[in-house]
Amino acid sequence: MPDSIEERELVERAKRDPEAFGALYDRYFPQIYRFAYSRVRDQSLAEDVTSEVFFKALKHINRYTYSGHPFSSWLYQITLNAVADHYRGQRGEVELEEGSDMASREPAVVDEVVRRDRSRRVWSAIDQLPKHQRAAMVLKFGEDRKIEEIAVILGKSSGAVKLLLHRGVERLRRQLPQLEAELGTP
Amino acid sequence: MMDDPELRELFGDPADQEVIDLLRATRPAAPPLDPHFRNYLRAKLMTEARDRLGEPARRRWFQLGPVGMAPAMAAVAAGFLIVLGIEIYLHPSSTTGQAVAVNVVGIDNKKNVATAEPIQIPFSGPVDKTAVQESVVIQPATAFTQHWEGQTLVITPAHPLAPNTSYKVTLQPKASAPASQPLASPQPVQRPVIVHFLTAPAPVPPVVPPSFKSGSVRYAYDNRLPESSKLSSPTWTNDGQLLVTGPADAATPSTTATTAPSVTTTASTTNVWLMSTQGTLIRLVAPGGSYPSTAPSGGVFADWQQRADQAVLEVRDLQGTVQVASVATVSGHPDRPAVWLGSDRLAYLNDGALRIVDLHGTAIASPALKGVGAMTASGNGHFLAIASDSGSLVLDLTSMTTTPLPAGATGFAWSPSGQLTFVIPHGGSTDLYAGADARTARKIATSDAGESWSDISWAPDSTSLLVASRSGSANASHSRLILINADGSSPVTFGSSQRDYASPQWSPRGDLVLFTRRDEAGGVSLWTAKDTVGQPSAVDNAESQALAEVDKFMQARIKGDLTGAQAQLDASAQQAYTSGASALLSPGAPFDRYYPVSVQLVAPNKFLIGARVFITRNGTETSFFEEQLTVILQDQRYLIDAVSATPTVQLGHGPTVVSMEVRQNGQNQQVMVRFDSDLKPETVSADTIQIKDGQGNRLKARVSFDPDAHLVTLETKLPPGRYVLVVTTGVDDINGSPVAQAYSSPLVIGG
Repeated sequence: MPDSIEERELVERAKRDPEAFGALYDRYFPQIYRFAYSRVRDQSLAEDVTSEVFFKALKHINRYTYSGHPFSSWLYQITLNAVADHYRGQRGEVELEEGSDMASREPAVVDEVVRRDRSRRVWSAIDQLPKHQRAAMVLKFGEDRKIEEIAVILGKSSGAVKLLLHRGVERLRRQLPQLEAELGTP
Repeated sequence: MMDDPELRELFGDPADQEVIDLLRATRPAAPPLDPHFRNYLRAKLMTEARDRLGEPARRRWFQLGPVGMAPAMAAVAAGFLIVLGIEIYLHPSSTTGQAVAVNVVGIDNKKNVATAEPIQIPFSGPVDKTAVQESVVIQPATAFTQHWEGQTLVITPAHPLAPNTSYKVTLQPKASAPASQPLASPQPVQRPVIVHFLTAPAPVPPVVPPSFKSGSVRYAYDNRLPESSKLSSPTWTNDGQLLVTGPADAATPSTTATTAPSVTTTASTTNVWLMSTQGTLIRLVAPGGSYPSTAPSGGVFADWQQRADQAVLEVRDLQGTVQVASVATVSGHPDRPAVWLGSDRLAYLNDGALRIVDLHGTAIASPALKGVGAMTASGNGHFLAIASDSGSLVLDLTSMTTTPLPAGATGFAWSPSGQLTFVIPHGGSTDLYAGADARTARKIATSDAGESWSDISWAPDSTSLLVASRSGSANASHSRLILINADGSSPVTFGSSQRDYASPQWSPRGDLVLFTRRDEAGGVSLWTAKDTVGQPSAVDNAESQALAEVDKFMQARIKGDLTGAQAQLDASAQQAYTSGASALLSPGAPFDRYYPVSVQLVAPNKFLIGARVFITRNGTETSFFEEQLTVILQDQRYLIDAVSATPTVQLGHGPTVVSMEVRQNGQNQQVMVRFDSDLKPETVSADTIQIKDGQGNRLKARVSFDPDAHLVTLETKLPPGRYVLVVTTGVDDINGSPVAQAYSSPLVIGG
């Protein structure tokens, strides 16, 4: 986690200094690309989204004001919006919403887990969670974000994020033994 | 395990802990990432960032007149700057007492410097700018321009720097005093400022080019070429740059003119530019020109020059030098490029009639064909497919006989391997035909109902082709690109089906596709799309493994790890090193780095890898030698089996070869030799760069030179066997320094 004062200075410099913006890009590219990929599961789309995120960040960086959260929270927010924009523009591709049933995706999950070890099964199962649960789980367990930051990123209250995490973990807990039993592996 | 207090608070139930622990202990698998994407996006962002944030607005490209500005513009638009990074103080002026510093933070000994970067040298105080500029020297020999931005000297190489190369920039600053306190004379610093940096490595090309079959090619990411809505008639050059027609700058006739514009080239409204694949205009190559067409070889192109109500067909090289001032003259305004028939003849239309000329302008008798529409020549220049009032046909350019094609055939394209393709509109759809010649062409695919196909572009390996597929009504049509295998199978949409694409053109190497795309505002711009080949071939994987083992070998030697190095050798190679074929470890100054100069497939699971090893003294690279390593698969692992080595070559004494690659080009081979220096073109010839057979006999080869890439290409037709590439000491850099000692490298042509 970058030092917040140093990061704030860098962000302020990036409002007028291209090289500082380049430094921000270098710092945050990996996690934004990773997060974008976790949402779209397609390399080309993840590249499109990542590109959009940083160009939007560049365009609007002068409007960015420090609100007590890391700069990355802002980038994650842009990422989520970019992903949402993408799916809005795609007919026939609908993400799972809260409360939708995972059962319909189970064959794909089974196909996936057959080839992977136990820890990977968990992450494969996370891919199948409804979108807000998935985002919260990825940000918490994949990116080590604080609940408060996740709340900012998702535009929800901290309580709502806790609920999403709870539900996500519950689903995984219920799902994993079932999958493992189907596979006949521990 | 649950060391996150938030999680501890949130998940008190021990039943959740197994999942939490598992999640905490692992991370999702790293997503697939194109290794070039990150740098590519950064370059684009930085260009945009400099426009938005940093620098004063630059003039648009078409406002820049002089040719000499183009390299500077190219480099600046590329969005990079090398900032020389050592703070070196000039001694203080005797009158002001102030020290002037060359304020260069973090450049000296910088590695992985991009090859398209201008070099920026900031000074902290007033200097004698003219004297500083006059003192700048770059080694290896590099042509460059200089300008000042305030107290910062910006040095812009005329061409991209060479990869894998250690550069030395020398300058002799002289402080100057403020005007109110003039110095008696500029004060020289005690010693010149010398800075070294190392350019980024180049990717090692695959020994077997990738297959572009539709199932294995994927649209990776795309790039809108800036200002490209003003550009037209783009075409690839053979080395992967673009020629485009753009609006002329200040020469456009006044819109309020009450008199006719003067009949001179400056009255023309277009120019032909050489452009990078990022959309940077590199060089104005044909002032007043339009409709460029690239010759199949030789680094030249043809373009039309409008002169009042006539147009003249000329031939220029990629530097813009006129090679043939007038090949042909037509009345009116041409509406398409001339068509090269091989490298020594051109076909064009004059008032709708077919004309063929050689490069001396001599007309070549050909059938009288009028009302000619589409016209495309085979790569070898032997055939010309034509749609005309007499029907569609193929003209044999040797016998000048014609063979009819099915009625309605149009949109011709020839694959690099000589396959003829065309389309025939059929009811509400389009049939795609392909065949070895006009007689054997057969239908291989049909578009969906309501879709019409056009704009065929073949992949460089002839395994697949792209077509533009248009659907909808004339008022609300929509076009997408479809990738189809050469046999018509596996049609897939290339890129998004929701955007309006047309006119695809595959790049010579196949890594990019140029196309037009309608933007949201209704304009049409040029785009390039990077494609990726999904499944590496078995040979690709084998090459990677062989290179990985060589890398382990070299890294061990650089570390001085004798045991580690020996572990990569089989008994035969161990014996070779022991008997002095080369030195495993440096007896004196350490090995500093290495890079592969060439990789050749000798036989299945057997590679010949040329590796250059650098030696440093006092922290500076001073010399290198080159080893040819034979690497063979043995017991499921690649080991080095044989070695030969060149004598040590001192750096800084004339140009050196940085890479050698052999490419198949139809029936011929192209041997591509890249240098680290800008060369004197007149010293690059078949006499100075040669291919010899096993008996030492010189073989005939056509030599072309691309100064932008310091690249010499020898095109020849070699039967399978072993040959030798020889670069003699007759090759000079732009400063007149010759190659220090003749360079030779084995060439292996497979069966």
